[in-house]
Amino acid sequence: MEKMSRVTTALSSNAISGRTMFCHLDAPANAISVCRDATQVVVAGRNIFKIYALEEEQFVEKLNLRVGRKPSLNFSCADVMWHQMEENLLATAATNGAVVTWNLGKPSRNKQDQLFTEHKRTVNKVCFHPTEVYMLLSGSQDGFMKCFDLRKKESVSTFSGQSESVRDVQFSMKDYFTFAASFENGNVQLWDIRRPDRYERMFTAHTGPVFCCDWHPDDRGWLATGGRDKMVKVWDMTTNRPKEIYCVQTIASVARIKWRPERKFHLATCSMMVDHNIYVWDVRRPFIPFATFEEHKDVTTGIVWRHQHDPHFLLSGSKDSTLYQHMFKDATRPVDKANPEGLCFGLLGDLAFAAKESLISSDVNRKPYPGGDRRYPIFFFKKPDPTEQFAHVSSALSVFETDLNSNHMDWFVKTAQLYLLSGKPFAELCDHNAKVAQELKRPQVSTTWTMLRIMFSDPANLTATGPNHNLSSKLGTLPLMNSFSMKEMGTESRLERSKGESRPDNTHLEPGTSHISNNNEENEETEGSEGQAEYMFGDAELDDDELYSMEHDNQTVLLSNTVLSLLPLPNRHEAEVTCLTPIESFSLISISQPLYSPHLPGSFFCPIAREMLSYYAEQGDVQMAVSVLIVLGERIRKEIDDLTQEHWYMSYIDLLQRFELWNVSNEVIKLSTCSAITCLNQASTTLHINCSNCKRPMSNKGWICDRCHQCASVCAVCHHVVKGLFVWCQGCSHGGHLEHIMNWLKSSAHCPAGCGHLCEYT
Amino acid sequence: MEESSASDDKPRILLMGLRRSGKSSIQKMSPNETLFLESTNKISKDDISSSSFVNFQIWDFPGQMDFFDPTFDSEMIFKGTGALIFVTDAQDDYVEALGRLHLTVSRAYKVNPDINFEVFIHKVDGLSDDHKIETQRDILQRANDDLADASLERVHLSFYLTSIYDHSIFESFSKVVQKLIPQLPTLENLLNIFISHSGIEKAFLFDVVSKVYITTDSSPVDRQSYELCCDMIDVVIDFSCIYGLTDAGSGCAYDKESLAIIRLNNTTVLYLKEVTKFLALICILREESFERKGR
Repeated sequence: MEKMSRVTTALSSNAISGRTMFCHLDAPANAISVCRDATQVVVAGRNIFKIYALEEEQFVEKLNLRVGRKPSLNFSCADVMWHQMEENLLATAATNGAVVTWNLGKPSRNKQDQLFTEHKRTVNKVCFHPTEVYMLLSGSQDGFMKCFDLRKKESVSTFSGQSESVRDVQFSMKDYFTFAASFENGNVQLWDIRRPDRYERMFTAHTGPVFCCDWHPDDRGWLATGGRDKMVKVWDMTTNRPKEIYCVQTIASVARIKWRPERKFHLATCSMMVDHNIYVWDVRRPFIPFATFEEHKDVTTGIVWRHQHDPHFLLSGSKDSTLYQHMFKDATRPVDKANPEGLCFGLLGDLAFAAKESLISSDVNRKPYPGGDRRYPIFFFKKPDPTEQFAHVSSALSVFETDLNSNHMDWFVKTAQLYLLSGKPFAELCDHNAKVAQELKRPQVSTTWTMLRIMFSDPANLTATGPNHNLSSKLGTLPLMNSFSMKEMGTESRLERSKGESRPDNTHLEPGTSHISNNNEENEETEGSEGQAEYMFGDAELDDDELYSMEHDNQTVLLSNTVLSLLPLPNRHEAEVTCLTPIESFSLISISQPLYSPHLPGSFFCPIAREMLSYYAEQGDVQMAVSVLIVLGERIRKEIDDLTQEHWYMSYIDLLQRFELWNVSNEVIKLSTCSAITCLNQASTTLHINCSNCKRPMSNKGWICDRCHQCASVCAVCHHVVKGLFVWCQGCSHGGHLEHIMNWLKSSAHCPAGCGHLCEYT
Repeated sequence: MEESSASDDKPRILLMGLRRSGKSSIQKMSPNETLFLESTNKISKDDISSSSFVNFQIWDFPGQMDFFDPTFDSEMIFKGTGALIFVTDAQDDYVEALGRLHLTVSRAYKVNPDINFEVFIHKVDGLSDDHKIETQRDILQRANDDLADASLERVHLSFYLTSIYDHSIFESFSKVVQKLIPQLPTLENLLNIFISHSGIEKAFLFDVVSKVYITTDSSPVDRQSYELCCDMIDVVIDFSCIYGLTDAGSGCAYDKESLAIIRLNNTTVLYLKEVTKFLALICILREESFERKGR
């Protein structure tokens, strides 16, 4: 503490100032380090070893330590450190395994002081003891860490990492004798400097190499580590077993890590692969960097805070041969660009919406969410200095519920369960599905199915398939007529509505469609209901304008539906035509002309069907789109590009699975033709089971447990091995044939095995 | 490079583990073939020295090997062994495997204390990241506790998370092999010097056949660059096999002429050059440094 106050006074008397600046180096830098009073920085690399003075406006080259005509390999530095107590003392780690110390106080040009060549392979890191002047630690690729006393010619002690390469060594700020070492195999070890024979403790910190570690500058026993697995982890070393307290996921492997001075939760990281930026993280908010420095054009190899008590200056060296001083106030703040609004649908049409307070509070009519006081999750309280905190974001979460009366998603579930997608001739499938839709009071869908049947069945087939309908008696020349007569009721009502569609009132509401009666949130709610309800054009909750725009978008589809159904009734036909715009009547004619040709190929309708599918998908009824896609099969598949199909399938499967309609979703997956979809069924096909007797995992195939040599899955009712559907209670792990258990449970609630457990099956 | 004539002198790598832990599948095999792999019934000795720089034999032990079988000659087996790889199945219950590991290690250590013990926590592809590290931590803890109980603290086990579905198995194998190469520091220094005097970012010395890297410079190995290099070897060998083989058919696909340059669209250049019959030097460098050759 005494030391700290001394330094702070030194700082205040000689306050650091400067700006964001850079200078070109002659060669890529590998590491940088600053001297204690933050006035000079040393840059070391394979071909560079220089000291720069940090002036107000620029870097000034002070000294080139790389002297001699033919520089030895000892100058090829992997790491450098400036002593924090002794201003003239530097240490470097060379790629050939040498540890070199440099004394700037030497009068000669060559400042090299001591040379230790005890490591066999590259030395990755050197570290001076924070308070002991003559103590130097090195960590090398050969798996050894060595402690040097600079008054002696050779190392004092050697610590063996058991042939695992050492990537970083750091003396603890808290314990005089402790240092941490990180290894390529993912471990971190803590050593006592007095006990070279064995580490104090070891733990696995990362999968893959741990490239760096850093002790928290305040003495709280926190150690931050970064590794190739792209994680930064903060460990509490004071507990018995090192505990991971924070974890930050970055986008590239973490090569260097430095706690930010005077800021308890901040640390800076950089990567040596792929990513050129330097990030400053607030470890409490691991998902978005607190600040980013994006100046470097190549990977950053060294970062250091300029002064150990000044959080505003960061120095960095890079492979792009530049040395930068970054001012914290010039940093990019990614959080400013993040979208603070979030929107999500619930399964039954509820809509959750989170937005910044300021945006929402203007809306006076907002109703608070009834489920507890979760409206103001304030992540960060405002603190005096706004630039040092994450932007004060407090969001309000509103949940809009749909009206309970419009029990809107039932149709989806029912339709999904009742639709037939395969296994019968095409026409029958269509008829069946039309009937299903009809029963669920969805006339447009129903009509669509009927039309599909008409369009894509060739007449010969059609005559053959009719017996279950009333149209079977009247087959032959007028198949269109037949089907229409069956659907007449639905179409009638539908026509009425389309005639009345210019009236924006509520009287024509479809009982089955969802309507939300929360007037305050008209907009959101409309959005919300679109997801789950399928609209007729005549539905009055849309505005006039919207209605028209939509109609024009989908005019062909609409036409093909209404108009085709009208065709056999000439008088109606005329009446309808009069109210159509010229374009529409044109398309009508183009369709109606060839319609009378008895041998119209199915492919003629493909464009119409395609638009119809897109229309349904656009409307949010992806169920219809996918069902038609499957039923039509080859007839339509080539018309729609694979990505769209895949998207539809994915959406539908997702919906089905959210409604827990597993069988239907599986059927859809099976029937789909997209390779991306069918392979969904081939993922995670393994089911791990434990033996019900000895509770050990069953190792492999067969019905006999390896360990206790008994049949594992025996039906508790009939005492036979169950091959097929096996149901068991998760409480007591007894079970048996599905039917047997079901029968058993009718008579008794206890476990059939006699274990006394009150079995529950869900 | 030293030549060892008698095959018995060659350092051996032993592959051991419970049955179905994936020992055989580790050896140069594409994942889809492993489904049809039969159980290994006898010790299969795979001498890869004839085709590769590394003078090693890999002994693949059947999982159901019984140490107490009198015919099991632990002297003979462990004496000349350089490394013992014990394979455990991370997706299975590993308690039994740990018992086996302890038994194996203690017996091997008694015969030959110089063996490097390597534990491959295999089949980690099915585990989540958190689960992986938890498994590794747990296995490490238990294995070391077991050894400590038997007062074998001096035995060091190295752990690797491996999977045949990515290159982690090659990388782990590389690390194992590197520990057995006495010239490693020299080679590494040579590569260090090489890259510090050229604009090359990363250099690997690959064993072409096994895709194990014998050595690399001291900068950290990136998984992606390593995989790129492995893929490059595949490309080169495949190409050579198609177009490079002479009519005699006896020629090798990889010879003195082998040289390949692949430019990637992210301004990176991959450079492969034959070094010896078995080795290839693969360098990763930037396009601009590639333009300025000889600087």
